[in-house]
This record gives sequence, structure tokens and C-alpha cells, in this order.
Amino acid sequence: MRDFKYKNTRGRKGQGAISWTGVDLLDTEQVRSLTIILRTKGCYWARSDGCTMCGYIYDADLNSSGAEVKNQFDTVLNCYGKNFDVVKLFTSGSFLDTNEVPADVRNYILNKLSSVPKVIMETRPEFVTGEACEEISKILNRAEVAIGLETSNDLIRNNCINKGFTFNDFVNASKLASSYNLTVKAYLLLKPPMLTEKQALDDANTSIKEAARYADTVSLNLCNVQKGTYVEELWKRRLYRPPWLWTAVEALKQTAGMTTVICDPVAGGTARGPHNCGKCDDELIREIREYSLTQNKAVFKTNCEDRTAWEFVLEFEHFAYGAPLIN
Amino acid sequence: MKRQFEVIKRDGAARVGRLNLLDKTVTTPYMLQTKEELELIREQIGENGVLKVELIDDVEKIPQGIEADVVILGGAVLFEKDPRGLSKALTTTREALNADSALYTPALATPENVSLLVYAGVDVIDFMLAEVKATEGFFLYEDGEERFQDVLLPQCTCNACQQIGELKGLPFERRVEIASQHNKNALQAELYKIRARISRGTLRELVEGRCRASTTLTAFLRLLDENYDFFEKRTPIVRTSTMLACTQESMNRTEIIRFSERVITRLKQRHGILLLLPCSAKKPYSSSMSHKIILSSIWKFRRSINEAIISSPLGVIPRSLECVYPPSNYDVPVTGTWSCDETKTVSTRLLEYLKANSFDVILAHVSGPYKDVCNMAASLQETDIVYTTINEDLLSPASLKNLKEVLQGLIKEHRPPKRDLRFDYIRDTIDYQYGTGVSDYIFLDRPKIGGIYPTYHASSNGVRIATIIKPYGTATLTIPGATRYLKSFEGHYCVYIDDFVPKGTVFAVGVLSADPIIRPYDEVVVLNDKVISVGRALMSGWEMQSSTKGGAVVIRHAEER
Repeated sequence: MRDFKYKNTRGRKGQGAISWTGVDLLDTEQVRSLTIILRTKGCYWARSDGCTMCGYIYDADLNSSGAEVKNQFDTVLNCYGKNFDVVKLFTSGSFLDTNEVPADVRNYILNKLSSVPKVIMETRPEFVTGEACEEISKILNRAEVAIGLETSNDLIRNNCINKGFTFNDFVNASKLASSYNLTVKAYLLLKPPMLTEKQALDDANTSIKEAARYADTVSLNLCNVQKGTYVEELWKRRLYRPPWLWTAVEALKQTAGMTTVICDPVAGGTARGPHNCGKCDDELIREIREYSLTQNKAVFKTNCEDRTAWEFVLEFEHFAYGAPLIN
Repeated sequence: MKRQFEVIKRDGAARVGRLNLLDKTVTTPYMLQTKEELELIREQIGENGVLKVELIDDVEKIPQGIEADVVILGGAVLFEKDPRGLSKALTTTREALNADSALYTPALATPENVSLLVYAGVDVIDFMLAEVKATEGFFLYEDGEERFQDVLLPQCTCNACQQIGELKGLPFERRVEIASQHNKNALQAELYKIRARISRGTLRELVEGRCRASTTLTAFLRLLDENYDFFEKRTPIVRTSTMLACTQESMNRTEIIRFSERVITRLKQRHGILLLLPCSAKKPYSSSMSHKIILSSIWKFRRSINEAIISSPLGVIPRSLECVYPPSNYDVPVTGTWSCDETKTVSTRLLEYLKANSFDVILAHVSGPYKDVCNMAASLQETDIVYTTINEDLLSPASLKNLKEVLQGLIKEHRPPKRDLRFDYIRDTIDYQYGTGVSDYIFLDRPKIGGIYPTYHASSNGVRIATIIKPYGTATLTIPGATRYLKSFEGHYCVYIDDFVPKGTVFAVGVLSADPIIRPYDEVVVLNDKVISVGRALMSGWEMQSSTKGGAVVIRHAEER
């Protein structure tokens, strides 16, 4: 991260994975899902450089071993069982990075999940290799690699997010995965730092459209302010404002039908997360979640007085030269 | 490079100027009013076209040597609720820029804060924050903001507010429309007012009133006042307008602090008997009834004593400086009581004055708060002050008689030399303007003093050297006076111009170098190899050097060397 060193914020205490159950979309059906965040050494990219908005490195355990990761997984499975239609595997890094999850542990995990209808694995594109895909396709019925593409725009991805890979890298990974009958999910970031609200909306629309060509599902993540990140530094200096919920709604409405776009507003309605004026936040968050499950833009019914303010922001913010017009 | 911005008038850091926005010329401080104007500015950034616009995107790293007509303080809106950050950003930016760059703070101005922004040196603003606030449900006025639900009837006579009889029950969008237009009207009205006040030299008084609109704004003014050097180098030496010192913040005014400092550092040391008197409502003090009464009863002794006037917030004013600004032209609210701050500050000034001089005896013909000031100073310095008032009645025959008798006794005892009081005025005014000891050089021989109060003049061998002029009360040098001055003070308060004969107004473009200590309305010596002249500066010396536009000095006399 250019000139910005991660601050030494205390990481998450305690061992073990974080996990929860929920409802997800499987094709067009709403099904039960299990999400597991394994605690590994952490994302190698964050350790060497790092994305501007990501604070997940602070959850990592630098001393984590393959055995520990295996134990974490076993504990979760003992707790919840395997009776889910979708299981999502995260490490706050790359599940397919063998430094985080050694190949034998990975295969052990996947074998345990071989009966699950769909397994999703979060990973950076560089770890989508032939060998990995081969192994995965042998073990699992239906596997999906989920890649943090963030945006289809290389300049934004490099200069605003500092992600460290190109759109081509994503395309190649996507094609490779597809050749092994793996599906691809693209995570997009709504409003990286240093963009105006309008630029963020346009970027999201374009990215959804572009990602739809190579991904089966798109997940639109609304940028939030995590502790110890470059985005937090900007936010404290009043140079970053998380996206308006209106912007997320608008992106979902304008791209409805292009592909499956899901969205879960993390920290929605708070100062550090995507928010509106406060009065309509809860309702819009509920509508966004409903859209994620139904893919029907008719769910967006709410109107609110702050829409005028948001429209002004879209039109005029770039004349403020770097600071948000409304916080 | 043809500059598109020119400063026309100055009042401290605030300016009225003229800006060519490609197809039209506007007066600054100016509000960009349409999206087209915002786009026009944005398109010119870094383009090196006719209108040069630069963007500062990091106020911590302002590039040096920017040459542009308009400079944008990028992201200025982030300082909306950060008075400390804003005062630092504005003073740092303004200081880093040439005077002939117009400073633009996007999306920051509101009717309540714009006078303070201009006071700190902003030249261009826009309508954006005013409109944002309308969309958020606020009416903006110069004395603060009101939420829509609190504005049931129009509180203004502008064309937007007068469209509607009653605002209660109107849909939100309609109110946004009205508020948006009203907020812009209010902002524009403030700009007209501000421009007029800059021309009259009364912007500070407006700002002291406007800052009451919110705590943030009052804090902002106080924080700005901490930047003494920034404002002092832009503050004129004299004004024709009356200084109204009505607030706590008035005491922080640059003019007052500078005046007090000069009284201590620039004047010739005095000895002998000091008589302290209270100030008067009428200025100059000698023309007031109270002083006339006191002075007429001690007229015999005046040439043997030193008189000084105690006043809040100016401190101590030697009699000889009663005709310079600000003592000649200020006003304060009079209630008979002083605040703790006033008493403390003025007694500190009195202490400094006593320390800087060497008096054998200190008399005070004072009462009330003036007496408190003397008491405080006396106890801190462990000096004795002799009070001559009887029963706190300044002008009673008994008090005046007592004053006379005490003076008589002291003069008999100490036998101080008699002085020409008119010479005191000229000498101290010269030293006040030019610095310690300048009068000693100019008046090496005993000058002959003439003229009637207060426009005294000094001549040597029949040749006029210096005159005090109205309306400013400044001492001006003649060419012979300036010639004498230059023998010892070459460079000091001097303006060096190119090879031409100066007449009328010398423009900044003709100035090669100027003493940075020169302030607007200072009396200066203007010279090149061929000609020596005297005149009145229109801008500070540092501004003359770095500007390419505007009048620098109004020439009074010129002569070949």
C-alpha cells in the first residue's frame, strides 16, 4: 500500500472459525446456506501490500497451521452438520492459497462436503490453477470460485483499491474454472475510495455488465469503513463517505436482468457503512436483501425526501474536488 | 502572461477584485452561480489557457510558486465543521499563493460563514453548499440556519420567500425549491454587503457580529486571530472608518496589538513626570470636553510633563500619538464597568509602557476602571502611582486644584526640561511609522515647528522636512526630508522602481523591489537611479514585489536626484 502501513490494531481474539447459517439463492430457489470463515495466516496480498478497504488481515492468525485450519473446519461441521444446500468457504484471503490452506487440508475439507449441492470458495484469481480446478472438479458436484474482482476498471482497481491483479487475470481465471465446469462468482465493490458518488454508480453499472460476461453470479459489496485501513484514514479526514443506499438500489435496478446480482449491505445504516438520511435506511436495506433473493426490481418501492439530496450529490459532487458533499 | 484577476481594494486579508471569466468580467468576492460556471472553472484546470486555474488537492502539500488566476482549495467542504483545520488551511494556502491569485473554496460558503471566509482571504465561492442545505431541509440566513419545520412563515423579503404566504403544509420538494433559491439569494446579499465593507474598511466589525451565528463560527474567528503575522502583514496602517471595538474578540485585532507593540518598541524613551489620564468618548482625546477641562487647568505645566491616555482596548496611548489610527478614530461601548479581560490586558499594557520608559514619578488623574488598571499595574510592578483625583470626581474644582498643586510641586522638585509639544507629535509619529530613532536622524538640527493642531510641520533652515496630514494623521516626508532619511535608512520603507519618472500612481508591474515591512497606506520613499519621490502605499511591500497588477504607490512629490 503506497506509503500506508497497516496500523497495528489488535486482531480478533480467540481461536476458531466464524460461521453462520442463512438463506441463499441456488439457481432460482431460496435455500439454506452455511458460511464458514476459516482463520488462516491471512491474505498474502494484505501481508505484503494490501487493498485500501480491507481490514480482514487483522482477523488472521500468523501462526496458523494446516492442522489448526482442519480442526476449525471439523468443529464447525460438528456444530452445524452438513445438511445445507450451499456451503461458502472463506479465509479472508484465498481458500485456494496452499500457504493458507495446505492442499491436503483443502482436499480433506472438500471431501467432507462432497455431498453438498454447491460449494463456493473465495479466492484471488492467481490461485485458480489447473491442478486446483482438477482436484475440485473430481471431488465436488458443483463448485464455484468466488473472486474479488471489485471493478472491471483496471485503473480504479489499481489506484483506488490497490488490488494487485488485472481484469484479464480475472477473465483467465474465469475461463480456466469454466473449462473444468466450475462456476464463477464475481465480488464487486460499490464505491471504492477516491471516487465521487456518480463515478461509483457508473463504475458499478459497467462492472456488473462486464463481469456478467464471465461470471455466473455477481455479488455487489457496498464499501464500508474497516478499522486500520487506508479507507478509514480517508474517512476520518472527511475524504471518504460510504455509498448512499440509493446508489446501490439504482445500480441494482439499472442492471436488473443482466445477471444474478446479490447484495448484502454490511454495516448498513451506520456512519461506517452504506447509509442514507437515517429515516429510510432500514426499509431500503430490507428491499436490497429481498432483491438479492427474488431478483425482482419491483421490490424497490420506498421513496424518501433525501432522494433530492442524493440526486444533487450525483450531479455536483465532482465539483467539490475530493471531499463528499454530504456525509 | 496576461493575468485575469486583479485586486482593486483591500481590507486586511480580504479583497475586492476583478476576475475575467472568459466571456465576462465579475467582481470578487464572487459566487459561481450555475453549473456552467462550475464547469468553466473545472475545464481550465491545468490547461494553460487564457484563464489559468490550478487545483490544490492536498492542503498539506501545497506546491510553491503557483502562478494562476484562480486556485481551487480542493475538498474545502471537508472543513465545514472543523474551524481549526479551516483556519490553518486558509492561512497556509493564502500565504503560499501570490496576491494576484483568486482563492476559490468549493462547496463551503453559507450566508453565515462567507464573511469570515472572505476575511481570511477567499475570493471565489459557489452555491453548492447553500443548495445542499436546502435539499437537507434548511433555510440559511446570515444569522444561522433554520429547519423547514421551524419556518412556518417567510423570514425574508427575497423573491423566493415572498412567493409563498405560508410555508406550513407545503410539500417537501416545494420547500426545497424555495429554500434553494432563498439560500442563494441570502448568500449573494452577503457578498454585496461584504464588498461594500471592504471598500469602507469595516469588514472586521461585520465579522465580529456574524460569527455569533454558531459556536463553530465564533471558534473560527478566534482561531484565525491566533495568526497574528498572517493578518498583520496585510493590515493597513490607517483607515478613515471608525474602529468599533464592541466585542471580546475586538481585543485580538491586529491593529490594536500592532499599535501597542509600536508604542513600546518604536518610540523614543521618555523621562521625568508621567500623567495618566482616562480616555474620552470624543477623539482625538484633546478635543473632548473632559480633556479640555483638565488640560486648560494644567496648561502651564504641560511642556514639562509626559501625558498618556489609558483606554480599552488600545492600552496606553502617548498624547503625541492621539491623532494616528486607531486612537484617532475608534469607539467602544461605555458602561462604566470593564471586564476582567479588559482590565488585565490594559494593565499589562500599562506595565509594558512603564518598563519601556524611565519615569521618575507617575501621576494618575483617574477614577473607576482606569484606577483599577493603575492599581493592578502598580501592585505588579511595585511602583507607586500618585492619584490626584479627589472623591473619584475627575473634573471637580477640588480635583483639578489638587492636580495642579501636585504638578507644581513635582516640577519644582525635579525641574524637567521644557519641550515643544508640537515637536512631540511630529517626532513620535515619524518614529511610530518608520521605526526607532528615525526622527533623531531626520531632525539632527533643531527643526522649527509650525502649523495648527494637529497638522504640525517641521522645517530646517526654511526647508520643510515633514508634515502631519489629514485625514490619516500620518507624517509625510518632503523630498528634502526623504533625502535626509535615505542617508541612514536606505531600503527601509523604500520602493525601488524601474527606469521611469513616477507620476500619479506607480503600478506593481513597475516595482522592482519593495521593503516587505511596508503596509497599505504607509508613507514610503520611491526611488530609482534618477528620481526620488514620496508617496502613500496602496498595498504591502511584499505584495508589490510579487504582484503584476494593481496600483502600488500614489506619488505625492517627485524630484530628480
